[in-house]
Amino acid sequence: MTPGNRRIEREPTDAEIEAIVAEAIAAEAALARTEAAPPSSAIVWWRCQMRARQEATRAADRPITIVHALAIACGVGLAVSLIGSTAAGLRGSSGWLAEVYRSLATTAAPLAAIDLTSRWVTLPMTAMLISAVVATVAAYFIFADE
Amino acid sequence: MADVTFIDVRRLQAEAEAADVVLAMDEDAFRAFYDRTAGALWGYLSRISGDRQVADDLLQESYYRLLKAAVPFESETHRRNYLYRIATNLVWDAQRGPRPLFDTAVEMADMPAPEGPVDAEGRADVRRAFGRLKPRERALLWLAYANGSSHSEIAEALGLKTGSIKLLLFRARRRLAATLQR
Repeated sequence: MTPGNRRIEREPTDAEIEAIVAEAIAAEAALARTEAAPPSSAIVWWRCQMRARQEATRAADRPITIVHALAIACGVGLAVSLIGSTAAGLRGSSGWLAEVYRSLATTAAPLAAIDLTSRWVTLPMTAMLISAVVATVAAYFIFADE
Repeated sequence: MADVTFIDVRRLQAEAEAADVVLAMDEDAFRAFYDRTAGALWGYLSRISGDRQVADDLLQESYYRLLKAAVPFESETHRRNYLYRIATNLVWDAQRGPRPLFDTAVEMADMPAPEGPVDAEGRADVRRAFGRLKPRERALLWLAYANGSSHSEIAEALGLKTGSIKLLLFRARRRLAATLQR
C-alpha cells in the first residue's frame, strides 16, 4: 500500500492523517534526493566570486558614469551657447569676413616668393618635424606607464 | 560624490578586479556547508516550485545571497534556516513577479522521475496532490516532514510566527490527505 493509493473508509484521525502525509512526503523526499544533481561546490563558489566582482566593478563605475553625464551636459550647453553667440555675431557684421580675406591675401603674397628648396628653409622645417615626432613618442612612453 | 576623484574610481575598479571579493564565508567553509545542504535545498526548491530549471537557478541565487548577507550566524542551524528563508523568498518572488516562473498550482506529476523499483502510480498521486497545495503549504509540509525541521525552524525559514506553525501544519496535512484520498 503506497501513500498515493491508500484509502481509509471512515474519517481518518489526526494521527492517521499525519502518518499518511509523513509517509508520502518521506517517499517524495527520498526520490528528490536521487534526482538532485546540484552543481559542485567549486563551481558555485567560483560563480559567486565572479558575480561579486562584477557587482563591485559596477558599483565603482557608477560615480564615473554620473561625472560623464555631467560633462556631456556641460559640453552640449557650451556648444549651444557658442553657436548662439556666433550666429548673433554673423548676423550683426557679415562684412568682416571680406576684410579678413583681403588682409590674409596681402600677408601671404610675400610667402609665395620663398624658395622651398633652399637649405635655409628645409633644415629648420626638418628639425621641427623631427622634434614633433620625438616629442609625441616620448609623451606616449611617459603616460603609457601610468 | 564630490570626494570621489577619477583616480579614486580607477583605484576602486582595479581593486575590485584584482583582489578577492569579501564574502561572508571563506571557500573551505562555504564548500563544506554547500556539500551538506545543497541536495536537500534543491529538493525543497524543486518541490515547492514544481520546476527543476527554477530549482537550479534559485539554488545558485540562494547561496550567492547567503554569501553576500552581512549576518552574524550563531550556529550552523541558524545559517541553514537563513538559507531556507532566502530560498523561500526567491520562490515567492519568482511566483509573484510580473512574469511568474511557474504556476501556483504546479503539475509535479509531469516531472520526469528516474527509473527505479518504486510505485509509479502512487508517486504520481503524491506529486499531483502536493502540486495542488498552496506554495506555503508545500513549504510547510516539506520542511516538517522531508527536512524534519522543528516549528521554530520552520517559522524562521518561512518568516512566520512560531505559534502559528502548528495550526498551519494541521491544515496543510488535512488538505494533502484529502487530496490523496480523492
